[in-house]
Amino acid sequence: MNAQQALWTGGPILLIEDEPSVIAFLRAALERRGYAVVNASSGAEGLQRLSNGRFAGVISDIRMPGAVNGAEVHGWIQKNRPELRTRIILISGDTANSDTQAFLAQSGTPCIEKPFRVQQLISMVEKTFGKP
Amino acid sequence: MALAVEAAQSRHLPGFLEQFALRSTRMLDAIWGGVAVYRGRETELHAISGGPTTEATTDWLISRARASQNDVEALPIPKEIAATLPFAEEPGVVVFVRIAASDNERLGTLFLIRNRKSLSADQKRLLHALASHAALSLENFRRFSQLERSKRQWVEDIDAISDYIVVHDRAWNIVRTNRSLASHLGVSPVALVGEAMSSLRQIAQTGSDLPCPFCRDTRRPKEEYVAASAERIFLVSTSRTPGLSDDDTRTIHVLMDITDRREAERRYRELFDSIQEGLFFATPDGRFLDVNDAMVRMLGYASREELLRADVSPHLYPVPEAREKFMRTLSERGVLRNYEETLRRKDGTLLHTLQNITAVRDSRGHIAQVRGLMLDVTEQKTFQSQLQRERDFNQKILNTTQSMILVLDTAGLISYANRRCYEAGYQEGELIGHRLVDWVEASHREDFDAALETTANGHQVENLELRVRRSDGSMGHFSISLSPMRDEQNAVNSVVVVMTDITDAALLQAKLAHSEKMATIGRLVSGVAHEVNNPLAAILGFTDLLLENPEVSMSAREDLQIILQETQRTKDIVQDLLSFARQRPVQREPVQLNGVLRQTIKLRSYDFASHGVEVVEDFEETLTAALGDSQQLQQVFLNILNNAYDAVQEAGQRGRIRIHTRRQAEMIEVAISDNGTGIIDPQRIFDPFYTTKQVGKGTGLGLSICYGIVRAHGGEIQCWNNEAGAGSTFVVRIPVATEAALAAATTKEARP
Repeated sequence: MNAQQALWTGGPILLIEDEPSVIAFLRAALERRGYAVVNASSGAEGLQRLSNGRFAGVISDIRMPGAVNGAEVHGWIQKNRPELRTRIILISGDTANSDTQAFLAQSGTPCIEKPFRVQQLISMVEKTFGKP
Repeated sequence: MALAVEAAQSRHLPGFLEQFALRSTRMLDAIWGGVAVYRGRETELHAISGGPTTEATTDWLISRARASQNDVEALPIPKEIAATLPFAEEPGVVVFVRIAASDNERLGTLFLIRNRKSLSADQKRLLHALASHAALSLENFRRFSQLERSKRQWVEDIDAISDYIVVHDRAWNIVRTNRSLASHLGVSPVALVGEAMSSLRQIAQTGSDLPCPFCRDTRRPKEEYVAASAERIFLVSTSRTPGLSDDDTRTIHVLMDITDRREAERRYRELFDSIQEGLFFATPDGRFLDVNDAMVRMLGYASREELLRADVSPHLYPVPEAREKFMRTLSERGVLRNYEETLRRKDGTLLHTLQNITAVRDSRGHIAQVRGLMLDVTEQKTFQSQLQRERDFNQKILNTTQSMILVLDTAGLISYANRRCYEAGYQEGELIGHRLVDWVEASHREDFDAALETTANGHQVENLELRVRRSDGSMGHFSISLSPMRDEQNAVNSVVVVMTDITDAALLQAKLAHSEKMATIGRLVSGVAHEVNNPLAAILGFTDLLLENPEVSMSAREDLQIILQETQRTKDIVQDLLSFARQRPVQREPVQLNGVLRQTIKLRSYDFASHGVEVVEDFEETLTAALGDSQQLQQVFLNILNNAYDAVQEAGQRGRIRIHTRRQAEMIEVAISDNGTGIIDPQRIFDPFYTTKQVGKGTGLGLSICYGIVRAHGGEIQCWNNEAGAGSTFVVRIPVATEAALAAATTKEARP
């Protein structure tokens, strides 16, 4: 836990999510805990922001409309932002989907299933990115 | 008779011979004399009067005369003969003189009875001369009588001929007629001699202007033509020969009455032409020599003449090779019966014929003519081939259809079964002549009999679903249609039964429909769940954030708690939905179902015990492992147990749940029975959202999730209400974990 907290390098968390109500809730929950949040409403926008900025971590929905989904964001990070490799949290609305399951099992990426309690979210964020 | 004829014909010969004997007696100074004439073995005696009076003496004289071979011979007369002779003078010798024809054949003997004086040389010469004279006369007489005889014979022959014969001279006068002609006119033949030929006009006429009604061209030596009267028709054959003098000509007419023959010919022709079958005479190379009207009609020609033209035959035979074969066969057999030949009509259309043919051979045995009778069978042929085609077609349908088709008589006995019946394993001996109803399950026989009666009354019965015994003894579910079959009088005389085994079809269709429904709902649920999760996440999240806010009042917090609870409940429902739609691959490993069941029971054992529900474990202890996912299977069993628990609770009596496991073929079967309230609609129980529970007690997804899990295992899940009337039974079948199944499962998992 201490080692992970040591990972916190400052900078905002990039939140990639297409659902406005979910963005609002996540932003509120995270900002109250002292995290800075930058949000992107699609996978493509997320990748654009990743290319141009530094982030402490990425929280991304898996299933999003558009050309780039959560798995692809994950893949891009693995390739282009090695420092963020272990700083990804995925959010899933449908873990029943076999593709999603296969991807999660294979990558070992932490995933939080909608709907979730605020506490579940915060503990996973602290565990993965460290405290702000 | 021969003698009588002789006597009549040679009337003048005895007189001559007697005269000759008298002259010879006088010339040679004899007492008595005569001539013996020989005709074969017969001897005629012609003597002058006053001869021997006894037969013995005459016989002696004749025998001596026959014995005498010399030209002149004198024989002394014995005393006993001399005593019988009535002469005044003493008879001494009898002199025999041979009378011979020019070819030295002995014609007779001259005999003279004299005194004992011997003959002088002059007398002997005289006797020779007399003998020669007699010989010449006898010979002439004989020739004449022969001529006379043959002439009479000829007249008799002519008279015996039934044809009319008349001979006339150049002056058109009748010289002769035969008796037939004379009696036709009612007169004697002689009466007509010298009459004019024109008097015969009443018999028949040729139509010429000549005085003879039968003459046409007198310059011709021979003529033949037909002459007719009102009643009769004659074929007149005429020959002309030179008469007795140079300027005379004898004309001989022979009139043959051909009236009957003409009639026969006319009748024959009439019959020939009126016969509706074709008749023909043809050359071996197929050209017609004569045909009847029917043939002309059949072949579509305008006239007989047109058909008889030589250039018709190449058109007539469309297949010349067949014609050659036909001639070979005819040559071998001489007669062909029911020979089928295709000919071409004038207009080019084909004529199918059936022929009976006879070959007429010449003296060398070659076929000179072909005669035959021909039937037009084109229509039959066309009809027949149409019928054949139709029959083949129907037969094909009957034999290739996957339905069993049977024909029953009105008593319900099977009289026909199509090939499919036998392919299904039924034996001919157990179908034909047996009642079909005997194959129907006992409880359905009444229905079948009622349907049979309805059909016998002329009504169709469609898609009657009955259980029928299969050939292997098992019962199958059959769809049966019965149709009445009627005879010419429109009375129902049999029933056509079409039976289809729909056991598999019914089952398969039900399964297919269900799994398709499940898949559709699965997709729908997955989509809905995902969409619901987003707002739910926001609701839950903001509720949490509100609760974290110290400014929120206590009463508001209480409300927020309710929101929290309800959100949680909504989340559970969505989780259920997602479980149902879950496509997570089933873990494939050997699972001891008995163990899974015991664990599952343990989960609810507290509830069972506290509510007095008895659970009976009827397990096959050496149960083979099943292949599957123990977690998922536990979910299935738990679901069924929960339902059973609810059902027995609801029934309000002492609850009893019996769990039975066994291996059946390649499946492990788990049967869970309860004595609860039973299921209202067992067919719908696996449908999503179907629930009998109170609102809020269940999502209605439990059993459909079970269904999905079991199907994913390659197994089956079924349920029904117990026959005893209490409760229901669920049966789950999961495949046995054989080596092969395990290997297959591993391969499947290893695939990316």
